[in-house]
Amino acid sequence: MAWKDLLVERRSKETLNALLFFSLALLFVFQFALGPDRERLGAVLPGLLWLGFMLSGVLGLGRAFLVERENDCWEGLLLTPGDKSAIYLGKLAGSLALMLVVEALVLALFVVFFNVDLGPALPGLALVIVLGTIGVAAVGTLFAAMTAQVRARELLFPVLLLPVLVPVLLGTVKVTEALLLREPLADVAHWLKLLVAADVVYLAIGLLTFDVILEG
Amino acid sequence: MPDNWSFVAAAYAVAALAFGSYWRWLGKKEREINALRGRNAAGRSTAGRNDAVGNDRASRSQQPSMPGHPRPEPGSKAPIQ
Amino acid sequence: MSTALGWLAVAGLAAGLGMGFGVAPREVTQGSVQRIMYLHVPAVWVAYLAFTAGLVASIVYLARRRPAADRLAHAACEVGTIFLGVNIATGAIWGKPTWGTWWTWDARLTSVAVVFVMFIAYLLLRQAIEDRERAARYAAVLGIVAALNIPLVHFSVYWWRTLHQPPSLLKPGSSTMPPVILAALLVNFAALALLGAYFIARRTRVLAAEEEALA
Repeated sequence: MAWKDLLVERRSKETLNALLFFSLALLFVFQFALGPDRERLGAVLPGLLWLGFMLSGVLGLGRAFLVERENDCWEGLLLTPGDKSAIYLGKLAGSLALMLVVEALVLALFVVFFNVDLGPALPGLALVIVLGTIGVAAVGTLFAAMTAQVRARELLFPVLLLPVLVPVLLGTVKVTEALLLREPLADVAHWLKLLVAADVVYLAIGLLTFDVILEG
Repeated sequence: MPDNWSFVAAAYAVAALAFGSYWRWLGKKEREINALRGRNAAGRSTAGRNDAVGNDRASRSQQPSMPGHPRPEPGSKAPIQ
Repeated sequence: MSTALGWLAVAGLAAGLGMGFGVAPREVTQGSVQRIMYLHVPAVWVAYLAFTAGLVASIVYLARRRPAADRLAHAACEVGTIFLGVNIATGAIWGKPTWGTWWTWDARLTSVAVVFVMFIAYLLLRQAIEDRERAARYAAVLGIVAALNIPLVHFSVYWWRTLHQPPSLLKPGSSTMPPVILAALLVNFAALALLGAYFIARRTRVLAAEEEALA
């Protein structure tokens, strides 16, 4: 058990590093692609930020069941007695923590490299980042389990995940946009409600159906 | 506003193409399955041959089919449609 | 049963074409291009109906594990995807003379495209898993997620800035369509719904025959 935990921790650090450098690379590419045009950059910044979050999320979540796969522990998951939704929540929490750390660091990098002034927007931003990431992780963990045993999983997982997450992407970008423009949060309350609704739906489905995925 | 009948025709043509192709594909599938069924029946009626391929199919079609999609928990199983 | 549905569908399609080209008047602002709507709009309604049927069938499958429910879910989602594809294609063909562009990333087109890709992914998932029972289970879960996601996509649409016509019947408020056009739409909807039902019935039959033949 301890060996597995150690393995998981080391894997998480590897993933964390990889995700960080991936985000850094993305940042550089965004800068090169968009050039020095400050205004255009300001307009697309929310989208860029969430693009970075989403891509890192897809990468990170795609590896959510890597340990089990590589060490032939998949059957171990299937044979776990009791409510398998505990496994779902555990994996979800792990992925969530990882993603939030990466996102916080990426946000910091964005602030530095693109000279963004967060200021009063920060609490709202924290809220929307948490809401959005919960949604991504909730669906992502479920789909990661689904595609874990599939041959074309590297392709199939993003194809499954990204269209489903479009409402989350729309919502988070819109709220982030409003926050960076210093608009009051009340203006985008409907988006926040949508994000909460989405999170509830995805978590509910995940909790209810994870058992089914782990039947074999 | 010009009438753009060519666009209207194109739209209906695209739809007809899509639905028509699907209709033909369903027909093709049905023909394939009927052919397969015919071969199965032939295999069954000449049981005892040592031909590897034919034997496989014959023996497979003689095995009792799975009782629906199995579920781990015991409980009332719905009858198969 | 599917043959009867098939003939009804043919009758319906004839009626629909009659309504769309004969009875319905030439629309004032758009000209004859508007007649594409009699195909484009009902197609998406039928698609969403099909996905709803897929949702119910998926839930029933997970609850009862009846293979027939799985076959229905598969067929419904497949047929729904086809109708959605027709909707997208006819929408683009309508958009070119009307808006001057084949495609625009406004919310409505984007959301339909998103739903389309979601269900293409559904079909891809089914193909990717060899074990039939596992494919059925996983597809059922995905079918539920995708179908329940449709309203979320629809609403994120309505709030995003939009270039598209406001959704004709599903937006809050009353519809502003002249009755004869509405009638033509509904007749075409019935026709396409019959066609969709015919396809679903025939597809489930093919799936059942396939399972039996390969057993």
